[in-house]
Amino acid sequence: MTETITIIIDGQDYQVPRGMNLVDAAKMHGVDIPVFCHHPKLEPVGMCRMCLVELGSLAVNRETGQPERDENGQPVVRWFPKLQTACTQEASPGMAVRTDSAAVAQARYNVLEFLLTSHPLDCPICDKGGECPLQELTMAYGPGQSRFIYDDKMHLAKQIPLGDLICLDRERCIQCARCIRFCDEIVGDEVLAFHERGRRLQIITISDPPFDTKFSGNTTDICPVGALTTVDFRFGARPWELDEVASICPHCPVGCNISASTRLDRDFGGRKMIKRIMPRQNEAVNEIWICDKGRFGHHHSRSEERLTQPMIRRDEEWVPITWETAYREIAAQLARHGRESGFLAGASLSNEDLWELRKLARLTHADCSLGVWPATMGGIEQVTQVGVGVGTRLQDLGPDSAILVIASDLDEEAPIWWLQVKQAADRGAKVVAANGRATKLDQYATVALRYPYGEAVAALNSFAVIARRSNAIDEAFVAARAEGFAEFDASLKGARVPKPYAEAAQALLGAKDLVVFVGGEGVTLAQHGELMQAAANLLILTGHAGRANNGLIPVWPGANMQGALDMGFGPQATHDLIAQRPAMWIIAEADPVAEDARMAEVLVGAEFVALATQFMTPTAEKAHVLLPVQSFAEREGTFTNGLRRVQRFYMAQTPLEGTLPAWKVFAHISSSMPGGAKPRIAPGLVMRDITQHVLRYAEMSYPNLAHVEPQFPLVGGEDMYYGGTAYSNHGGLGVQWATNAEKEKYSLAVRPVDVARPRLDGLAVVPVRLLYDREPLFAPSSIMHQRVPAPYVELNVRDAEALGIAEGDAVMLTADDVQMAAEARVNSHAPAGTVLVPQRLGATPIPATLVECVVQKMEG
Amino acid sequence: MNLVRGFVTTFKHVLEGPVTIQYPEQERPLRERFKGRHALKRYDNGLEKCIGCALCAAACPADAIWVEAAENTDEERYSPGERYAKTYEINMLRCIFCGYCEDACPTEAIVLEHEYRLSFSDRRDAIYVKAMLLDPLPPGVEGTPRRTEPGQFTRSIPVMENPK
Ligand code: SF4
Ligand code: SF4
Ligand code: SF4
Ligand code: SF4
Ligand code: FES
Repeated sequence: MTETITIIIDGQDYQVPRGMNLVDAAKMHGVDIPVFCHHPKLEPVGMCRMCLVELGSLAVNRETGQPERDENGQPVVRWFPKLQTACTQEASPGMAVRTDSAAVAQARYNVLEFLLTSHPLDCPICDKGGECPLQELTMAYGPGQSRFIYDDKMHLAKQIPLGDLICLDRERCIQCARCIRFCDEIVGDEVLAFHERGRRLQIITISDPPFDTKFSGNTTDICPVGALTTVDFRFGARPWELDEVASICPHCPVGCNISASTRLDRDFGGRKMIKRIMPRQNEAVNEIWICDKGRFGHHHSRSEERLTQPMIRRDEEWVPITWETAYREIAAQLARHGRESGFLAGASLSNEDLWELRKLARLTHADCSLGVWPATMGGIEQVTQVGVGVGTRLQDLGPDSAILVIASDLDEEAPIWWLQVKQAADRGAKVVAANGRATKLDQYATVALRYPYGEAVAALNSFAVIARRSNAIDEAFVAARAEGFAEFDASLKGARVPKPYAEAAQALLGAKDLVVFVGGEGVTLAQHGELMQAAANLLILTGHAGRANNGLIPVWPGANMQGALDMGFGPQATHDLIAQRPAMWIIAEADPVAEDARMAEVLVGAEFVALATQFMTPTAEKAHVLLPVQSFAEREGTFTNGLRRVQRFYMAQTPLEGTLPAWKVFAHISSSMPGGAKPRIAPGLVMRDITQHVLRYAEMSYPNLAHVEPQFPLVGGEDMYYGGTAYSNHGGLGVQWATNAEKEKYSLAVRPVDVARPRLDGLAVVPVRLLYDREPLFAPSSIMHQRVPAPYVELNVRDAEALGIAEGDAVMLTADDVQMAAEARVNSHAPAGTVLVPQRLGATPIPATLVECVVQKMEG
Repeated sequence: MNLVRGFVTTFKHVLEGPVTIQYPEQERPLRERFKGRHALKRYDNGLEKCIGCALCAAACPADAIWVEAAENTDEERYSPGERYAKTYEINMLRCIFCGYCEDACPTEAIVLEHEYRLSFSDRRDAIYVKAMLLDPLPPGVEGTPRRTEPGQFTRSIPVMENPK
């Protein structure tokens, strides 16, 4: 903890942390110093002068070293002759501040009057009007009337598209540079800049394509005026008309806390709909940021394409049926097929859905396999052992921390984690970005490690070898907790470690905290298990387990993969199911046919397939019964994020008529089966069942999950100190479940890992994930379409040359059971011998990881 | 004595004419500032004055007004400002004719006029939608939405002429 010191504000003593920004320190004790350019998440710049205060220091008697006192016994303060900007001051002992003097009031008045000389009177139609710091501060400190003539105001362009998502109003900008500083400091994308000088100073975008960053929406939140608006929301409602509903982003494992701003709308039949998505403060998850996928990717919840009627296939025709018929039909089929039934759960189901699906499976037969989709990553054992400690906040990682990111392109797979890792690197954390190709994190990494695809396990295992060689093993921890150490240790002996691996390992060792992100890029499922174990080995060996800010973070595909694994679903079961080809399938919120070439055939061969889905996906076309279920916006539930934090989302939008939440559907089917119980009436009660049956979830009752505590910095309050109203968290901070490492009674297993590398002749496929793809939950957000590329594959220059393929050629990629047409991109991203194939860009499945393929140029 | 005084009063009134009038055959003249049903005003050029700011809805003590806004484009322009009211509804059964909406409006778009014959046989009929509230077009003027020259209307809120 930082040391606490005493400063004097307006004649009163206050205890504040040493070095804290003076504005924030004052705010902590309820003293408002108005600001425009300062933001607690950004470096201070002192540009707007709104925060002027009288500053002084206690006079100290040079001889005695004691504070001087006047005749009344009051300490003597030496004041600066001029006002100072509070935002550029750090709290230090003996500091004295006056915020309530006439000089300060006059300064605020003057700054506001000056700002308003070039600010239009747009408040009645401005999107920020009602939650605008400039409005608020003018009302509180500013002039009631202007001495300037309206006609003399600057007139600048009012609708400048900054990229396809954000619109700039040049007149409204007060030139605080928060937007530029956010992009430069926090994201590191230099996309915005100032142009011209003086009164003509204006924001421009300097990137091509314009405003090219995945985090552009955040600038509209922190802009203290309505200069930046999103194309999605623009004029959608006035802020005071919006009803904020706490929710969780359904798009990736970060599990960003979001706030759905809702209101009734005639365009939606007079029902309640989401008008915009804003970040909701959770300092342990997303702080106050979200990526553009989360912000603009909510349109699936009321897409025209949504299914709203249960249907059954009769003679190749879809016939509408009632829910009752659907339940009875499925129950009858389950009874008929018994253990010959397979269950497949997608990664966007809530924990309640998963629990009811599991109950249904268990009711059918004790041996039914519970598969998860996508089935590319597993390793729940390792997460249970050494998952990142409870209380972890990525924003706390700093100079004495180390972060390893392996087999993942964080920027595309979990943008907010990328942002936090990048910021940790800026603060001095050692970051190793290890992958088979270059990723965006490389720019910020201490070491960017390239290994040949297929060798990820060997690379990570060699970190343990180096740890052993350089005596970085935490002997005490290993002796107390590790199990199977002798055998593992023997496997490390004499292993040959290539120099780059050794260097990368050295960068990580010796740090106080170590976090390992493990992705699934370029590793098969079997290898992924080994990779997770290799990570666990390293963490246990070096004692980086069982503490906050230490441990393993899996970069799962999908928002609630962690929940699916916690509820007993697994990827190996999926592969077993595909091999066994059961006669009956129940699939929920997954689209395996679009992603795996074998699945179409497997499902066509099945006698009965029931699918719970929101859309008519390729999988739906192979199903026999379709159950229209609800999106995250239309119901309550919980997701568990990659840090194992179970978080609640609430009903934000009136459900589409004819849809039901998936948990209810499964519960009703159960109740139609012999021995099935009556369905629960609310998801909270389903969660209560979970707390009673799943040990790790014992603490996860809805009231616990809804618990909130004050967070620092104090953004988003009613006072609109930093602008915006949607930041404050009223929906709950969530609860993380504790790993075995955190409980003394468990020993932690280490074991030798299989470092064998698959033999690859010719070109090997490496599927990669893109943030902006065409998966069913994202494709309906048409506002983002310009960012989703047409299907492409990336080839190395050398391979392309050998095949006679040039950039932009149409090519056909053929692997055993897949044929896919795509555009060729020829560059050096793809290492020689591999083809990078982005997932879910086209309608056809792509080949599996590390299978051989042939790429041919298509004629004509 | 008291009895006599009472009868005097009674007879005085018997001789006076009636104060009631035969509505609807007869109507009283309205005061200049009478507040009747609202009208949404247009500029002389036919564009709508309302910019969909919903300040009237915010000011309304009876929660009678419902506004949904959308953005104008030069291809489809309703108002000279940046936005217009896509939906504008007033529930006349809720309205208490206080005129706060009129006061709140930054463009003098909503005005309580002299129409007071409001009776409905169905509660739904009491909801006046935009088409019912909007003033008729001046003769010979193009309606809304209409196509306008780019660069002709560039202000977020139109500059009002002589807002006296
Ligand atoms: S656009 Fe907004 S955030 Fe950016 S400089 Fe202008 S006022 Fe500040
Ligand atoms: S980072 Fe992930 S969870 Fe957060 S908003 Fe983006 S997609 Fe959603
Ligand atoms: S007159 Fe008063 S009650 Fe009626 S709509 Fe206007 S503000 Fe509301
Ligand atoms: S009538 Fe006036 S106050 Fe109401 S939305 Fe239109 S412009 Fe705004
Ligand atoms: S100068 Fe301090 S807040 Fe802008």
